[in-house]
Amino acid sequence: MIEFDDVTVRFGAAEAVRGVSVTIPAGALAVLVGPSGSGKTTLLRLVNRMATPSAGRVRVRGEDVAAADPARLRRSIGYVMQSMGLFPHWSVARNIGTVPALLGWPAARIAARVEELLALVRLDPALAGRRPAALSGGQAQRVGLARALAADPDILLMDEPFGAVDPIVRRELRAELTRIHAATGKTILLVTHDPIEALELATHLVVLREGQLVAAGEAAALAAPPAPPFLRALFGAEALALRRLSLLRVEGAALDGPAPAGAPVIAPEASLAEAWTLMQEHGAPVLAVGGRHLPWSALLPR
Amino acid sequence: MAPTWPRLLPAGLALAALILGPDALSLAPNRLMPGAPLSAHDVLPGWAWLAVPLLALGAAPWRLAPLAAAGALLVLLAGLGAGAAALLDGAAPAARATLGSAAWVALAALAALVFWPGQRRLLAAALLVLGLGVLAWGGVLDGFSLAVEFRARREAVGAALATHLWLSLSALGLASALASLLALAGLASARLAAFFDALLGGVQVVPAIALFGLLVPLLAALLGAFPGLRAAGFGAIGATPALIGIALYLSLPLLRALRTGLTATDPAVIQAATALGMGRGRMLAWVRLPLGLPHFLGGLRVAAVQAVGLVTLGGLVGAGGLGALVFEGMSQFATDLILLGALPVVALALAVDAGLGAMERRA
Repeated sequence: MIEFDDVTVRFGAAEAVRGVSVTIPAGALAVLVGPSGSGKTTLLRLVNRMATPSAGRVRVRGEDVAAADPARLRRSIGYVMQSMGLFPHWSVARNIGTVPALLGWPAARIAARVEELLALVRLDPALAGRRPAALSGGQAQRVGLARALAADPDILLMDEPFGAVDPIVRRELRAELTRIHAATGKTILLVTHDPIEALELATHLVVLREGQLVAAGEAAALAAPPAPPFLRALFGAEALALRRLSLLRVEGAALDGPAPAGAPVIAPEASLAEAWTLMQEHGAPVLAVGGRHLPWSALLPR
Repeated sequence: MAPTWPRLLPAGLALAALILGPDALSLAPNRLMPGAPLSAHDVLPGWAWLAVPLLALGAAPWRLAPLAAAGALLVLLAGLGAGAAALLDGAAPAARATLGSAAWVALAALAALVFWPGQRRLLAAALLVLGLGVLAWGGVLDGFSLAVEFRARREAVGAALATHLWLSLSALGLASALASLLALAGLASARLAAFFDALLGGVQVVPAIALFGLLVPLLAALLGAFPGLRAAGFGAIGATPALIGIALYLSLPLLRALRTGLTATDPAVIQAATALGMGRGRMLAWVRLPLGLPHFLGGLRVAAVQAVGLVTLGGLVGAGGLGALVFEGMSQFATDLILLGALPVVALALAVDAGLGAMERRA
């Protein structure tokens, strides 16, 4: 759990963050989103003491970070950034093993962990001996992610992690992150200026503007109508509506009673967005969900 | 491939020196008197003109050009050696056959062809060293006055070379320690860094001879005040002022290289290292130092070559080394003795530069 308690950060006369209070529950994939200059990166850097609050408190796992040893705190929190900052003079394996080495793990344990991580982020083990300069942008980003996960931190900070890769690799990496989040249950705090990316990834959204908190909460709740005008402007009404559908499950919306014969079948754990797609593809107004049915009108907000 | 025509310049120079030069060798009655000049045409045996076609091959744009140039150099040297031996045959025992300016120009131009950049020089250099060894060992070069001088002073030259190396290394070590301290202090404070720069920059402006001259009375006063220092091996003349002065000169290039290397690290890498929880010490040892290595080696190369050169001047304050031979030769007007000191200095500087250059490229 990460708590920001009335936090303000000043750089000289400018206030990057103004009186922000928000709590990120454990296990959330929280996305900090907002236009550039909205203070989202500063908020992220408060968590591992890369930035210091001028007023207010930041608590990680219930403890005030101001009282923690910075180096130890940082080793316990994964960090991925857009420019990656891979060490150019080290192999991929040694890059990934940085934090375990800092923590003094024996070499054999580090090697085994590196192997695990290469598999987790789906990198060819043959790349382990390469230097970062020999990697593609997507591969380098995966190495950065593996390095952040190396010592199995329960919290992962990601600052525009997919900013430097092309759109196709970007989509691939987003799916990968969703998968890793589901598989590991880590608390992830991710900064992006891309609203679509925010809506696609987030279980929780934290929306910032000019250093102030605009909205925060579960993504499905924020995406539900009526969305406030700033959110509509930021995300676009269409993306909000589609995102709401992708966050809701078929079983929650299905009605009792069997579907007419010949209706396409959808799994109860599928999302309403998938149900909508299926209806579009088949031109079917009703889907079958086990013994129940899902009419198109069930997709509307209630 | 680099354009080949600039190589015609040294080739033409060598040819012109051989054909037009008035003094390939000169024959003098003893080691101090000036000799009578003799042209290449007068002294070279017929086979030595084989050097000319080899020279043409050495200037041609093909793969084996450096080897051909090395061959030309060796043939010419052997020819000059044979010519010198012929001149001395029947002359008085004190007579000396000295290499003249035409011979030096031709030999230097051929060496430039051998080591011309952008070619495969290693094999040619090996051939040259091997060939020179064979010529020296076979006694072909014994007729040159330089060889006569060397035979008379073999032990002194060896000792001077050892002293020279030791002084250069010591000065480099002393300067490295000083520069490292200043660089680390400068990393903490930009104002301090600027102060050290100004201080060492000021030292660079003082001519080396003046600096040594200044250090001698300063050290004499210091030793007068603290006689214990003298017992510890320090002296107002000799190695102490030379090492202090040279180390002060070398500190500036070393400090600059250290600072560049330490601060040139990509900020994203530094940020990542911080975010992963590296402390200052680890950051220095794991990231800043290894990433700065090429810069450090570049600075070390400049400083090492400077050290070899500056130690020569140490001969003036009694530090010994090859400089002592040079200055002794100058006081006696004995050109051969001067060369006996100066040639190893040049060779040493070139070897240090090439060796550290190879390391720098590999880092």
